[in-house]
Amino acid sequence: MVLLAKAALGLGGTLVLAGAYTMREGVIRVDVDEFRSGGSHVHMWVPAAAIPMAMHFVPDKHWRHASEHVREAMPILHAVVKELRKYPDAVFVEIDDNNEHVRVRTTGGRIQIDVDAPDEKVHILCPLSTIEDVTVQMEEHGSGA
Amino acid sequence: MSDRTIRFFARTTLIATTVLVLSPLGTLAQSTAAPASSNQSTTSLSKDRWLHVRVISSDAKGESVKVNVPLELAEKVLPAINKDRLHAGRVKIDSAHMDDVDLRALVDAIRTTKDGEFVTVQSNECDVRVAKLNNHLIIHVLDKENAKKSEVEIKVPMKVIDALFSAGKDELDLVAALHALSAQGDTELVSVKDHENTVRVWLDSKNVTD
Repeated sequence: MVLLAKAALGLGGTLVLAGAYTMREGVIRVDVDEFRSGGSHVHMWVPAAAIPMAMHFVPDKHWRHASEHVREAMPILHAVVKELRKYPDAVFVEIDDNNEHVRVRTTGGRIQIDVDAPDEKVHILCPLSTIEDVTVQMEEHGSGA
Repeated sequence: MSDRTIRFFARTTLIATTVLVLSPLGTLAQSTAAPASSNQSTTSLSKDRWLHVRVISSDAKGESVKVNVPLELAEKVLPAINKDRLHAGRVKIDSAHMDDVDLRALVDAIRTTKDGEFVTVQSNECDVRVAKLNNHLIIHVLDKENAKKSEVEIKVPMKVIDALFSAGKDELDLVAALHALSAQGDTELVSVKDHENTVRVWLDSKNVTD
């Protein structure tokens, strides 16, 4: 009985540790709602730390393909994210009118993009550290290719 | 292993497990609670200089655009953009339009000249004034042609203009200009007012607009 309890405790502890490690960088949150017939509704919560880990399993040919498409944007994105991390929370862009509201801001080390329009709502929250990790990996693979 | 040891071990593990379980929740809570706290953030680190752009439209839609950019961020990001005429933080001027004008000499002349008005045009259509005052180049245009007047005022520190033209004959050094701008105090750079829009570009140490 004691042995079983120890095994369960060990398994539980491992799961909790794995969960805590996976969630250490927070989550990437994507919510998209299109209010029209056939419009998509995407609601996604992904542990941020899982993305750079998952990228290790992307085949080289896909890396090359992706790197070709984003080669020009990568250094800019990398520079922006690296710099953004140095600043306190701030609203960088805010566009308002009677119907639409767009906001790009940083909050707690994350970039948050909100679009509220009559025909769609988009909310994206992503840790800056994750974007930086991804851009670094893409640049490395791009230069390797 | 005695019962007491097992109990102690189990209790310790339980506490450690609870802490581990709660720590990611804390991270999640931060992500949702942060917006409230970020609204309170009004002033960035004193060394940070922020460039603000605000456009307010007075039409029926009542559109407003607010952009806040840290100058240091712009300084670091601009050299990473290499597209069309923009390379390494410098933008090429079309030489076809600049062959007859030596901009650097012009800037040099303005810099060394004493404060005063260089251009004054007054007509029924518009008033134009270009002047140098307290090491700032001031351009003021009042358009009277339309029933609803429009007014443009640009005020640029001479050091910024110097830096802008420091690259070469047919190039503008944007990064150098931003660097020079960051050394300036709080100032309004551009103000445009007409019957449809109000545009303001200004510099300060706050990371939010008014």
